[in-house]
Amino acid sequence: MSSFRPAVVTVAMLAAVGLLTSCGGSGAGAQAASDGEPVYGGTLTYLEHQPPTCLYLPAAGFYPNGGVLNQLTDKLTWQNPETLKIEPWIATKWEINEDATEYTFHLRDGVTFSDGTPLDAEAVAANFDVYGRGDDKLKLPPAEFVNNYERSEVVDARTVRFHFSKPSPGFLQGTSVIGAGLVSKKTIGLPYEEQCQLKNVVGSGPFTVAKQVVDKEIDLQARKDYNWAPPSSTHQGRAYLDLIKIIVTPEDNVRVGALTSGQADYVRYVQAYDEATVKNAGFVVKGEPTRGVNNGLYLRPANSILKDIRVRKALQAGTDAKEVVDTLFTDNYPVATSVLSHLAAGYVDLSDKLVHDPDTANKLLDEAGWTRGADGIREKDGVKLRLGVFVAGPQPLSKQTLELVAQQWTKIGVKLEIRPADSGTQAVDIKDAEKTAVNHSMVGRADQDVIKSQFHTENRDVILSDDKKLDQLLEEESALADETKRNEKVAEIQRYVIDQGYVIPLFEEPQVYGIAPYVHGAAFEAVGRPSFYSVWLSK
Amino acid sequence: MRWLSWAVIALVVLWAAVPSLFTGYDPLDGVPAEKLQGPSAAHLFGTDAVGRDLFARVVHGSVHSLSGALAAVGVGLVLGTLLGLIAGSVRGVVDEIVMRVMDVLLSVPGLLLALTVIILLGPGTVNVAIAVGVGSVASFARLARAEVVRVRRTDYVEAAFGSGGTFAGVLRRHVLPNSLGPVVALAALQFGVAILAISTLGFLGYGAEPPTPEWGLLIAEGRNYLATSWWLTTLPGAVVVAVVLAAGRISKEIR
Repeated sequence: MSSFRPAVVTVAMLAAVGLLTSCGGSGAGAQAASDGEPVYGGTLTYLEHQPPTCLYLPAAGFYPNGGVLNQLTDKLTWQNPETLKIEPWIATKWEINEDATEYTFHLRDGVTFSDGTPLDAEAVAANFDVYGRGDDKLKLPPAEFVNNYERSEVVDARTVRFHFSKPSPGFLQGTSVIGAGLVSKKTIGLPYEEQCQLKNVVGSGPFTVAKQVVDKEIDLQARKDYNWAPPSSTHQGRAYLDLIKIIVTPEDNVRVGALTSGQADYVRYVQAYDEATVKNAGFVVKGEPTRGVNNGLYLRPANSILKDIRVRKALQAGTDAKEVVDTLFTDNYPVATSVLSHLAAGYVDLSDKLVHDPDTANKLLDEAGWTRGADGIREKDGVKLRLGVFVAGPQPLSKQTLELVAQQWTKIGVKLEIRPADSGTQAVDIKDAEKTAVNHSMVGRADQDVIKSQFHTENRDVILSDDKKLDQLLEEESALADETKRNEKVAEIQRYVIDQGYVIPLFEEPQVYGIAPYVHGAAFEAVGRPSFYSVWLSK
Repeated sequence: MRWLSWAVIALVVLWAAVPSLFTGYDPLDGVPAEKLQGPSAAHLFGTDAVGRDLFARVVHGSVHSLSGALAAVGVGLVLGTLLGLIAGSVRGVVDEIVMRVMDVLLSVPGLLLALTVIILLGPGTVNVAIAVGVGSVASFARLARAEVVRVRRTDYVEAAFGSGGTFAGVLRRHVLPNSLGPVVALAALQFGVAILAISTLGFLGYGAEPPTPEWGLLIAEGRNYLATSWWLTTLPGAVVVAVVLAAGRISKEIR
């Protein structure tokens, strides 16, 4: 403990200095703040729900990772979260050939990584060679947001060209996601275990790592010479804040309590039942959509019970997503009307296929030969209709959601076994369709390719798919250059996975943040991860 | 006050034996529309986030917590007494080895030991009981050994050997029955401790699978609602406290 104290004092002093500068910098400082004029300086205390895991950039999909990496790195392009249009950032302009197999990016001049090395064409090429192909020797897996990647070509110091074996229309958006954050050539050349460690992540972003206590706290310091924000941002130059303290606080109560009592300024993951508490205390609750594959139950056809499509369809009909949302969640969590969020690219409304209908469910199970046993649970050839599922740590109220679904399934004679296992057991058993028949998950990304990320056997593969047709559909989608045709293909995939009963969509999962009233400029990227670059404090 | 602790234990045992006498609600099937209602005449302990009656869950949960605690005490009592009996009567190298192993067990904090066993065996009600039981083997063994060493030296045991009794026979007929008194008192105390330990493991998510109502799990489920729905943690917590106190009180009496 004693070694921890000096650090706290330093931080407190930094904070005090920051506040002093912000108050004394100009006589009109306090007045300016109330007028909405941003103030430099100050420390933001941000409470995170889970500790970051591996910080290899393509692993930034995990929200705690993304929340840190988004501050440390810049991307080639910037996706405007309102219009979802791709705008220039580190790339000032770009050209794409007709069939989307060749992308040429022209880079901004004078951008440097925090270790002083230039962010030039070679560095960008080195990054995407790894993200596109992975690196077996360094054990780096390829990134899910780059498809059909072939090679890079450094045209000159500020021009880089990427070649694809097949059309890769999702690539432009792929360059804007947090996972495509650019890191120095030294970082990208490290083996996986080392790229996982925060201290090795050297980016060009507005903040750098000042201190890390693993699984507890990360302090990020503003980079004074930062001067390459996206051109469309009204804020240019260094970040307003001096310091961000990211503190891991797993207990939901404590996060909300710390926020409302003034010990924290900004918290991620305000649970649905706490939203009212936070609002009533005069704080802001922000529910950011994640525009991707919905929170839902993913049914694994490789399981010996679920291989029968009638069982899968019966479970789909026997689940009442509306009851789940009405009981456990709030308006920030819209009931799912497809496997994709209604804000996702290529979404189609399939709510007529997702009607809660226990009678149909019972009929389908009867047809499939599952008859009710004495305890009300169906059985066939001596096997009980029991399906296992793990409580999903990253999903909001996963246990309560599963319990409610289990209650609904009991009515159709199905037993859902809910396992609250530790992450060690889960890591092993979740890859076994017999032990884990159902997967509770979601994934966010504002591009059509998000559905491929969730289902393709070489990506997340949540259903442990053995369906060649599904893989083929997903590959076709990721290689269609024409936007309209691509959306049509996404619609076809949505219909297919629902008709096949691979998924029971529950709700569109948001990222819900609680923010103190004196925190201004809170911004989010397209799938709801925070950006602290333009945040400033008026306290 | 004596009758009160016995009354608490009797009530809880009745809950476990015939839960339907005490509540008409289903502990697993709630009415989602009636979620998070405070304690009232209709719902004595209120309802939880999914609309289940909390009192029904506590009553139906008692069988899991009580049988788990019984099994845990059983494991500790049988294994511990056996080891203590062997160590105390054979003495010599066997005694040294067994008791040094017990010393090692005692030096590891109980919860850590239980968690280690759980990780090896995997979660579940039975495994939790075994894990907690293993944690108490050392205390039982020590106590049993001390008693056995004392009884072993008494004249009637010497006489029994002198009159031609076999080693095992004398142990069974004279040594064991006469050293059991304090061990049984410890068992009663350990029963309360085991309920607490099982609730702790349930709280941490290693016990019964949800939605099975288990006391520790009920408390764990409620803690997120502490600010908005106090009854979800407070009332099951009060039940656990009452039972553990009662068991402790009874153990004092036996001693």
